This record gives sequence, structure tokens and C-alpha cells, in this order.
Amino acid sequence: MKRFRLDRRTLLKGIFGASAVSVALPLLECMLDANGEALAQGRPLPKRFGVWFWGNGVRRAHWTPNGVGAGWAPRAEMQPLIDAGLREWFNPLTGLEIKTATHPHHSGMTGILTGARYQQLGTTRDTIVTTFARQSIDQYVADHVMANEATRTPFRSLEAGVCRFHGTDEGTTFQHLSHNGPNNPNQSEYNPLTLYNRLFGMGAAPQAAVARQSVLTAVQSEIRALQPGVSAADRTRLEQHFESVRAIELRLGAPSAACSAPVRPLDGYPDLMGQEQIAQKNQVVSDIIALALACDLTRVFSVQFSTCGAGTVFWMVPGFRSGMHQTCHDERASADPATQQPMVHAATTFTMQQLAYFLAKLRDTPDGANNVLHNSAILCTTELSEGYSHTNDEYPILLAGRAGGALRGGVHWRSGSRENTSRALITLLRAFGHPAASYGVAEGASNAPISELLV
Amino acid sequence: MTRKLLYTTVGLTLSLLACEGRLGARPGDELVPSRRDGGALAEGGTVTEAGVALPPFAPVAATMHRLTRAQYTNSVRDLLGTVTVPTDLELDTQLYGFATVGAASITVSPRAAEQFEAASYNVATQVFADPAKRMALVGCAPTAADDACVRGFVARFGRRAWRRPLSMVEVDRWVGVARTAAGAYRDPNKGLEYVVAGMLQAPHFLFRVERGEAIPGDASRRRFTGYEMAARLSYLYWSSTPDDALLESAERGELATTEGIRAQARRLYAAPRAREALTGFFSEFFKLDRLPPQTRDRALYPTWSPELARSMLGEFERVVSDVAFREADIRDLFTTRATYLDQNLARLYGVTGTFDETFRRYEWPENSPRAGVLTTAAFLANNAHPVTTSPTHRGKFIQQYLLCRPVPPPPAGVTTDIPMGTGRTQTFRQRLEELHLSNASCAGCHQVMDPLGFGLEHFDAIGAYRTTDNTLPINADGNLDGVTFRTARDLAQAVRNHRRLPGCLVRNVYRYATGHVEGVGEDVVIHDVEQAFAARGYQFSVLLETLATSDGFRFAANGG
Repeated sequence: MKRFRLDRRTLLKGIFGASAVSVALPLLECMLDANGEALAQGRPLPKRFGVWFWGNGVRRAHWTPNGVGAGWAPRAEMQPLIDAGLREWFNPLTGLEIKTATHPHHSGMTGILTGARYQQLGTTRDTIVTTFARQSIDQYVADHVMANEATRTPFRSLEAGVCRFHGTDEGTTFQHLSHNGPNNPNQSEYNPLTLYNRLFGMGAAPQAAVARQSVLTAVQSEIRALQPGVSAADRTRLEQHFESVRAIELRLGAPSAACSAPVRPLDGYPDLMGQEQIAQKNQVVSDIIALALACDLTRVFSVQFSTCGAGTVFWMVPGFRSGMHQTCHDERASADPATQQPMVHAATTFTMQQLAYFLAKLRDTPDGANNVLHNSAILCTTELSEGYSHTNDEYPILLAGRAGGALRGGVHWRSGSRENTSRALITLLRAFGHPAASYGVAEGASNAPISELLV
Repeated sequence: MTRKLLYTTVGLTLSLLACEGRLGARPGDELVPSRRDGGALAEGGTVTEAGVALPPFAPVAATMHRLTRAQYTNSVRDLLGTVTVPTDLELDTQLYGFATVGAASITVSPRAAEQFEAASYNVATQVFADPAKRMALVGCAPTAADDACVRGFVARFGRRAWRRPLSMVEVDRWVGVARTAAGAYRDPNKGLEYVVAGMLQAPHFLFRVERGEAIPGDASRRRFTGYEMAARLSYLYWSSTPDDALLESAERGELATTEGIRAQARRLYAAPRAREALTGFFSEFFKLDRLPPQTRDRALYPTWSPELARSMLGEFERVVSDVAFREADIRDLFTTRATYLDQNLARLYGVTGTFDETFRRYEWPENSPRAGVLTTAAFLANNAHPVTTSPTHRGKFIQQYLLCRPVPPPPAGVTTDIPMGTGRTQTFRQRLEELHLSNASCAGCHQVMDPLGFGLEHFDAIGAYRTTDNTLPINADGNLDGVTFRTARDLAQAVRNHRRLPGCLVRNVYRYATGHVEGVGEDVVIHDVEQAFAARGYQFSVLLETLATSDGFRFAANGG
């Protein structure tokens, strides 16, 4: 029997048109090959690239594992990942450092997400004001994914947030993770219901698509007509506007409701008795992203669990009163590392429990013969080493997922010579299958993937 | 080149001075550079009272300003009438304290484009699903997809939404959209609905596009067009899109003259809606968006809640609005005895009487410890910690934002912990004096901040009055640049009368109004506005009007 090319999206479009339907979709079996390891037409299963970020670092004494290679023992702040059965699903990297450091929060945030320095916007205020000088690594990967018809998805990338605190006056570096360029962030969605509706909401009526299309075309024409008459900087801003409108247009033909999440989240998860519902929000955000990845709505995501320098109040930690950032500064460090800063330690352990939920959810979401985590390459990191000292050495990094089999798991790799954190980034890009020979610029560049972590 | 270097050096010195302990040591004149004559530098130019020679006016290049959340919401409402504007929009990007400054460099991200698309269909549907609202907006009933009604509406609505007349090409383009949509639905009204939703997604609506125009006989700079000026004025005074009267004034060419701008500025200021928009400036200036999410120790401050924070904001806004709009001296913000209280605040302040959820005007007694915005709970709580007050933050706000003397942040790696038990009974002030002021590396900066904050120590971390701290009596003595104070009201009076206050306020309004941090070539504008402002009793309306008619607000650099 002759086989014809048919991908999932074409199939869904053919069956359901553009109307809203509810289909349990992790990859339809009929579309997989006999072993469930590739799409039936021979294309490999999709790989996903993600970032899971938390603010204010870790307590080093409770973080750095004992022993390297496969035979390491976790310390308390990594224990939640072990408890969730994730030991073989991530690799702790230690001993790396940000080489572009001049300001702890800003250098770490931009260094670990772009391999480059921040772009400083001002020098005369109470603190520095910065934005990202380059696109963040998730968008770098999204460029690659969206450039190829075979890997293109309805959503270029997804950005979600959990803890709502964000800075106000230190520039976009302090507020947002994903960036397309300077002062051009992709803001994280903090309302789980909005995130859900965006991904799984009802599709529009067919005639509306024609009319919407004509509007999008007209808007694009307006942008193009306007561009020659404005400054070079404004032309660049309008180019982004054009691309943003174009992305909507590309999605018009796609079946927005082909995948339906099983549970519609509550609206917004407002505070209960003045307390932010952090774990609840993290769960529902994790569930939504897992399904969005399984349904191949996107292959690139970022979760900003908390922003860099976040003032999140971890109310579940006894005695916790100020925001996290202030607590990192204020809580006394005792002489004994084992008992240092117990509140900061407890809040970091709680944060790792939230990461454990997220990774376990991906692991427990089927994806062909494997699971979504198996087919993902995820950078889990923060913007400095320790909140107390605000240092950029001994940078906390976990590389999670198996990148479809290209990335090892369960290995503690340690740099013996304080190497560049971008080694972790180029390693992850290589595992993902990105063709980049190097990543980062100037002192932040690296062309040396960590071979011990690659299969 | 030498000139530029000198100006730069003056600016740099200011921030360094702040932490070398000299700031308070030369009362009031810390801005004076070593030379007073100005020399050749000031030839034909402006020399400030302090003897600083200002470079001649040099405008900055025109740029596009994306609408802020408030501007978007107000504009949509003004264009469409009674609609509920969705709140699912991107957060503003504040730079240098103002969303309008951030708006001059941000763009429309993929997510923002989705949100704007969804919001525009949402509001368009609200209008077109209601025949009365539709008729009010459209004014005619289309019988064909591109009849005169449709064409006329596209031109009319486009002019309002894009703040300028449309070209023929543009009208044709959007009539084309109407035709397509009307055809898909077999309903000419649907065509108009899509035109409305679509024009609200266009760059001409989402951005205030400013390019300026050549000036006959003056090739040195460009001026903003009449329509661009109309938008600049309405977004300054109303945080919204120009009304018909303003667009007509632009069309008549009136906004190319000082008189024309002044007339419109006065009209805009007199409208009730100016109050809301300009009160918003003060709330942003005082960084009050940070107040509601704050936390307080529950054992110490059981009454703290987001509702209480909202009451605090309500009082602040009313006090500001009251002083700014009764043509009083705006500096009275710091000394006014008039305030507005609801039951939450009356309880917090210990004011007896009948109060409910609504705000009532209240006059602080002559001998009250409170007067002016520095003694409002909004300011006091916004500059405090969860457990303690923060004399540092309170003092820093006064120095940095009210007097425009920047204070650098603590160096990285410094322990900012304030140890709890010393075994001795001390006030917070005594502990800070030991920690911050006896240690030379801390004292450099803290001695310009903490002592001002000590003046507000009679008010705890949520702004309630107290006479003791840790069982010891409060000591609120201090001095601001040579003016001594013993109470918060004395301190507020000293701030009110400080020579740097008016200029600093002008500088902040200028940033808010123009959407950028002034260059050295605009210092002369700020100086001139301050002079006019001072000459007419520091009325806020004068500040705005002088600014709106100033060269800095009307002209742009060539190129860009």
C-alpha cells in the first residue's frame, strides 16, 4: 500500500477543520512507527528545549553533590529531585562561573541566558538599569525550530511564570526571562487560566479566519509602509511588531483546539488569606506545559518560577517574613555551613520541590514509546550562586531531560578550572541537535560541549 | 569637546559627592561647581542661580512611543464609548521610574500582538453587538460592504484612532478589509466591526508615531507636527487619545504656535479627567505600585492587608489631587493639613468620628504630628520593612527622588543584615547609628539617608503614630542641609522649602511627559520651566503649561 505524507497537524485539520474538539493527544499511535520511536513517515519524534528558572541562587553547602560522575550523593537542596525518582533524568553541573560578571544579578541573568553581558541603559540611578543585549537562548533555539517547515509548531515558544513578584525599576532583566533582543521581552504568563485558554481555547469560526486574515494582512501592510519613514531603532521595533503579527497569521490555519487539556484551571489562583498559592500554581502551569509539549503546540518553553532577585514571600517556611531577596541578605550566616541561613535553605528546598513536580510531570507524560522529559533538553538555573554573597562562581546548573537520547542523565560533572557557564549551554544545544559551533560572545563564548554528558 | 566633558563631569560629581559625606556639609549649594563666571561657555547662554552655565538647547531625535497599559485602556474607551477593556495586556516596562520612558523603547512582542488582537475583537464586539452603541459610533447604516457609509466611517474612525487623517491608500486598504469581512459574514456591519478591531491593531494606534516635520527657514531641527503635538498634549494631560477639538486645532495649524498650544493645554487641564491622569503621575513618581503586594509581620501588624493598602493609596491620590488642582503652591503637598480618610485609615490613624468605606475630607489639627504626603501611611508603609520601619529607604526617597541627589546602592557582597539582640534596650535609630554611621564604609552613603528617615520615626512600618520604640522615647531630631527639625512636620517643611525640590519635580515631570531622560541639551528647558514655575507661585498647572509650550516639548533633532 502506498504511504502518503501526513503529519499530525494536517490530519487534525482534515478531520476536525477549525472547530473546537477534544482529543486525547499525546502522539496518535497510528502516526508512529512500529517501535514508537519516530513518526510514521520516518521523521524523528520532536525534541523540546526549555528553561526552568528560579531567583536568588542556592545555599552552596546544601547544593554541591558529594562525588562526581555517576556515583554522587545529593545534598539537601537537590534531594527533592531524588525523592521524585528523577536521579537519572538530570545532571548537576558545578564549578562553572559567569565570565561576564560585573553586577551579580544582572550579569548572572544575562550571562546564563545569552552567554553575554547585559546591555546597560543607565548609570546614574540608585542601581543599574539593564536589558538583554541579545536574544535569550530559548529564542535562539526557537529561530532554529521555526526556520524549518518540518519542525515548525503553532506557537514559537511559551513563557510561563509562577511566583508573581517582579522588579519594577531595574530594567527588563529584572522582570522577564525570555528576550528577543534589547527591551524586547516575551513576558511570562502568570495566570494559568489565560495560559490554558491561549493554548487550548476555542477555535474561531471558519468565516472569521478569512476576516482575521484580511486584518492581519492590512496591519502588516501598515507596518511595512511605516518602516522607511522612521529611525533605524524604530524600524527594528516595527520589524518585531511585523514578526509578531506574522506569527498570529501562521497560526490561523492551525487547529488551535486539537488538543484539549483534561482540567481547566481555576482563574488566576488568587492569594488565600494573604498567601500566594505557589505550589498550586506551579502544578497547574506544569500540567499545561506538559500537555502543550506532548501535543506539539510548541517545542520551546521557559518557566520563570521566580524572577532574578525575586522578593517572593515563602510563607510556608516558618519565620519567613520578608521577600526572598531581602531574606538572603538579612538572615544571619552562622559559622557552621550545615546550619547556615535555615529560612533561605528551606525556601530553596521548596523551590526544588516545585522543579521536581515539573520534571516528574514531563517524565510521566507519554511521548511515543518514551515520555516528554526523555525528548526534552532543559536548562534549570538561577542568576547567582548564593543570595547571601551574590557571587557568580560555583554557578547552580542542572541539565535535565535526555534530549531524545543524546544527553546522559544522573551524572554530576564538575569543572576543575572554573570554566565558563556557556559550556553548559553549548552542551545543551548540541544535545538538542542545534548546529551552532559555539554559543555566547567574547568572554562569555564557548565552543566546547561537555563530552562526558553527551551520548 | 571640552564643553561636553565639563558638563559630564558635573553630573558625575553629583553622584559621587553623595557618598563622600560632603553632601550635607555644604548646605544647599552642593551643586555649585568651582567656577562661577561661566566664562565663554555661557556667552549668550543661560547661567543658573548657582552659577552653572547651561549648554544651549539641543533637542533629541523623535521616536515612536508604544501606548502604556493606562494609555491603551483610556484610548480605547475614548474611541469606542462605554466598553470594558480587557486587562489581559502586557505589563508596562518602567524605565527611570516611568512607564512612558519604557514605552519609547519597547515594541510589540508575539504575545503582546496576540493580546492586542484579542482585546480589539473583544471591544469591537461589545460595540457592534449593541445597536445603540453601534449607531453612536458609526452614525450611519451601511447597505453595501464599501458604500459611502463605510468609506466615511473608515476615514472618520481612522482619524480618531490614528490621531491624524488617513491617506487615500490607507482608506482603500481598510475599506478592503471591510469588504472581505462583510463578504465572509454577508453582513456590512461585520465589515465595520473588523475595521474597528483591525485599526486598533495597527502600529499607528499602538504606537504614537512621531517623526516631526521640517521648519520653514530653520534647518537646524524639526518640529512635531500639529497632529503629533495634539497627541503629545492629550497623553500628557489625559493619558489618552486626542479628542475632536484637539484634532481640529491641529488641523487648523494652531499647535504650531505657543498661543495655540497654551490654549489647548488650559482646556485639557480644566477637564475633570486631567485629575485622574496627573494623579497617576504622582503615584508613579512615589512608586506606589509597590505598596499593595508588600507583606507585614502578622504578629506586629495584624491590621495590614491589601485592602488597607488600597485605602492608603486612596488617601494619597486625594491629597495630591486636592493640592495640585486647587491652584495652590504644589509644594504644599508636603505641609497640607487637609486629607481624606475612610474607616480603615481613621482606625489606623486613631481619628475618632463617623467614617465608612467612602473617603471624607478631614483637617489635621494644628498640633497634629501629621501633615502632607510624607506623613501619609502610603508613603510611610511603602518605605518600610515587614518588621521595622526603614529610615534608610525613607531618607533615600527624599534625597534621590524629591531632591534629585542619586545615592548608589550598597556594594555587592556587603552584609546588610541588622542584628537583632544586642542585649541592650535600644531604639531602631540607636541601632542604625551604631551599624551604619559608626562604620566608615557604610556611613558615606547612610549619613545622607538615615538621618532624614529618623525624622519620620514617629511612624511605624504601616504608618501608625507612636511615641516610643522598643520602650524608649523616639528621637526625631535632625537637619536637612542646615535646616534643623525635631518632628516629621518640621522635616516636611524643610523638604517643602528646599531649593532643589521644584527643579527636581520639573525634571521628573519632563521625563514623564517626553518619555525620555533629558540630555544635557535639555537642562536649559528644565531650568526655564522651573523659573516660570517659581515666578508664578509653584502652581502645578504652570509647570505643565510651561513645559508643554517649551522647546523641549515641541522640537526634535534632525535625523535619528
